[in-house]
Amino acid sequence: MAKFIVRRILLLLLTMVLVSMAVFLITESSPGNVARNVLGAFVTPEQEASFLAQVGLDKPVYIRYFYWLFGSDWAAESKIDMPIKRITTEDGFEEWWAVRDDGALVRWKLEGEDLYAIARLESTGTTTRYKNNERWATDADGKSVFWGIDDQNHAVRWEKGADQKVWTFIVGTGWMETTGGPMEYIPLNKGFIRGDPGVSFRTGRPVSKSIWIRLRNSLVLAGTAFVIVMPLALFLGMIAGLKEGSIRDRVLSIGGMMFSVTPEFATGIFLILIMAVWLKLVPGATVIGESAPWKRPDMLILPVLTLTLIELGYILRITRASMVEVMKSPYIRTAYLKGLPYWRIVFKHAIRNALMAPITVIMLHVNWLMGGIVIVEVVFGYPGLGKYLLDSAMFKDINALEAGAMILVTVAVLTQLVADIVYTFLNPRIRYG
Amino acid sequence: MKEKESLHPAIHELKDHLWKGKISRREFMRFATLLGVSAFSASQMAGMVWPRNAMAAQPKRGGILKIAGQVHKITHPAQFSWVAPTQIARQVAEYLTFTDGKNITHPYLLKNWNASEDLKTWTLNLRRGIKWNNGDEFTADDVVFTFNQWMNKDVGSSMLGLVGKYLDITGVEKVDDYQVKLHLKIPEIAVPEHLFHYPAIVLNHRAFEGDFIKAPVGTGPYTLERYLPGERALVKRRNDYWQKGADGKPLPYMDGMEFIDMGTEMSPQIAALKAGEVDMIDLGDVAGVDVFQAVRNDSNIQILPVTSASTRVLRMRVDLKPWDDNRVRTALKICQHHEKLLKLVYFDEGLQGQDFHVYQHHPEYCEKPIPKYDPQRAKQLLKDAGYPNGIDVNLAVGTWPDVVRYAEVLKQDAAPAGMRINIQTMPTSQYWEKWTEVDLGITPWMHRPIGTMVLNLAYINDDTGKPVPWNETRWSDPEFSRLLKEANGLINVDERRKVFCKLEDIQQERGSIGIPYWRNAWYVMRQKVKNAHGVPPLYITFNEAWLES
Repeated sequence: MAKFIVRRILLLLLTMVLVSMAVFLITESSPGNVARNVLGAFVTPEQEASFLAQVGLDKPVYIRYFYWLFGSDWAAESKIDMPIKRITTEDGFEEWWAVRDDGALVRWKLEGEDLYAIARLESTGTTTRYKNNERWATDADGKSVFWGIDDQNHAVRWEKGADQKVWTFIVGTGWMETTGGPMEYIPLNKGFIRGDPGVSFRTGRPVSKSIWIRLRNSLVLAGTAFVIVMPLALFLGMIAGLKEGSIRDRVLSIGGMMFSVTPEFATGIFLILIMAVWLKLVPGATVIGESAPWKRPDMLILPVLTLTLIELGYILRITRASMVEVMKSPYIRTAYLKGLPYWRIVFKHAIRNALMAPITVIMLHVNWLMGGIVIVEVVFGYPGLGKYLLDSAMFKDINALEAGAMILVTVAVLTQLVADIVYTFLNPRIRYG
Repeated sequence: MKEKESLHPAIHELKDHLWKGKISRREFMRFATLLGVSAFSASQMAGMVWPRNAMAAQPKRGGILKIAGQVHKITHPAQFSWVAPTQIARQVAEYLTFTDGKNITHPYLLKNWNASEDLKTWTLNLRRGIKWNNGDEFTADDVVFTFNQWMNKDVGSSMLGLVGKYLDITGVEKVDDYQVKLHLKIPEIAVPEHLFHYPAIVLNHRAFEGDFIKAPVGTGPYTLERYLPGERALVKRRNDYWQKGADGKPLPYMDGMEFIDMGTEMSPQIAALKAGEVDMIDLGDVAGVDVFQAVRNDSNIQILPVTSASTRVLRMRVDLKPWDDNRVRTALKICQHHEKLLKLVYFDEGLQGQDFHVYQHHPEYCEKPIPKYDPQRAKQLLKDAGYPNGIDVNLAVGTWPDVVRYAEVLKQDAAPAGMRINIQTMPTSQYWEKWTEVDLGITPWMHRPIGTMVLNLAYINDDTGKPVPWNETRWSDPEFSRLLKEANGLINVDERRKVFCKLEDIQQERGSIGIPYWRNAWYVMRQKVKNAHGVPPLYITFNEAWLES
């Protein structure tokens, strides 16, 4: 059994790598202009080019994938020739700094043609600013080049004496025509392998900060629905299947079918209309901002109800069919003939076999739940993972998409694993070696 | 008046026009205030009664206004492209001027301004005693710094295109701590209006280093407490704001505002508004007609209408077939049934357009008839252009509900003329990627307060002969451009209007656009929000509003 689990985990890792590559390629080839989406429709071509360079989108796909997976800080370190590290300020902002020989943190700014260094001593917390033109190096073409870190968390290659002249405003001096400017950017991140999913283009904040909260919200919503629906559906399915053809059975079957066939957005909107707008029983939209969803349980009622109704019908009918089939089998008939009490037959003998099919479906449904929950989230304005991924997809926000995809892959594979293990308890014929 | 106001010589001419009935009082007010006359003096000259700020009830202090609105990522205010970020930023930082709901521009952070006779030298006088929320004094250094940010190519602000046409950075002169002089390259009358364009937030020269969120220093009534893009933003009132309320204490009356990002779907936002979970929906970036329809009969919700020059432009790229032929363009334009479009598409909430980009309430508007729906003539035009069996065209639209409806009605109305339209819908974000590239599409254009602004942004070429960045149709006409340049420097309203008569004719005859209607816009909020005044672009300018509990 242990070997089996280990093999599955390795397969999980392989799946994650393959999926991450697929997501990268799909996002790459899908239509969409990130700059326009983030900055607005009316950007100038220069703004667009500058934005794309700063987020690293001007580099080829395989390099970007490489940086996403393994991080770009070691590539930047080799170019800057100094160690670099990332700190979190007391306001919660993340900043990348280079580390000087004496341990102070340094960043650079280009003003006109002069390189200024901003150094912060960690021990005293003081910040000093000084001219640092001695760091310019000369490259093969005779241009002065310097790789450093700017205050927007990029590694930047500044060049002086380049062909293009540019008007820059320098505080205290006025407007000057200079030849210095940033030529290439490497946005800094630690890489997914080291636990850093990167910064979202859309929000400008680290993905990890947003995605865990969204995941938690979705889990609360899905978990609540799950916990309510599963026992209820299994129970109702069972009692429907026990007396096939009875009124009870027909009512439950048809009711279940009606709910499972109606799409979520229709059910959701009807519920909002009836419960929230006409009867004013419960709130019709979830406005929770950043607080935890369980702090306002009344806001969860309608979304959970919508999810429940969809799944209820589906699981109920599968359970019912499975139950009917099991109750017709020879060994159950034998149990009857032996004279065993009815409920003992049902609970000790029939259920375990009848549950196999529904459990399979339930486990598959967990996958659907994590992804398909997006419709309920959008209809109710619920700040969950699905909605986050939808917005990220519309914006071609690759870091958020990859992080989300990895989470979903992990959830999918792990639930499969759990399902397979549960089978061994349900069906002693199944063994994994 | 404590100081002697030296009147701009044109004021006398304007007064003359007013008394002779050539311009309306509203137009007189607008031009007089643009030339530096205070609104009070101008109203006296126009013989108007100065409306006192009559408030029906005493303002109450306290409360947080909850707004359902998008929270975008922002760094530099001069780079703003969406309206949503400005709704939050303008609570924390402010502008030099203020254009109100009647299209009149008032001084705001400025005390007043003067323009030279040739309209090439503008003197801006700053208000004294205004403090930034970090304690610094507001001085001319901040104004000069802000102008420099706009002109800086690296910042890439749209202010560069707007103001850079008539002003070089070398033309900004600091005279003393409270006066700045602008030396323009060419005469321009709308300078004060440009200073209220939404990216024109005034920045603190000592504190601003490129990221407004890291250093949210402003002169506004609130301070930025939290800013989480995609989630939520919170602003809280500060105690030393420069404007005072009716009770003598500093504004604002409210304790703060909370912006909750609920995405772009309207139904959860409408549900939240009806339930009272939010007090207002920010409709600055969307067409609010569906929201309007949903809440108009709800007694808990008040609707503040503003007529606006916001519209949907049917645009054709004149450098691509078949739209390079003016007959084909005209054929499509006369397939629009303007009255029907306004009624069906926008529920009659707005004004009919006449296929030129000048709005009826723009001061320079010259009255023209609405083009008639004429499929027979369209058919004939297509035949003349070489399409006897009609023509198939693709129309790209984003999924704004009213834009899609417009396309559908147009498709039906164009069919009898032989113009077969194939509608290609796409998500709005996708439309914004291609809005300048498609050959035929419908582009939403936002409100601008004056006629020349849009014409200069979208219907001319730059000095090198290339179409300006927002000229989506690549259309330009030498006569049009010449007339427009002339109009830019005219303050005489009568003369300006004469020029605009010709400009409008040119656009109607051989232009590249169709404009079916000018749409109304609404502020939608719960009844508890009192004394909220709106402006056509739907900015949240609620300094004097308060919340009734």
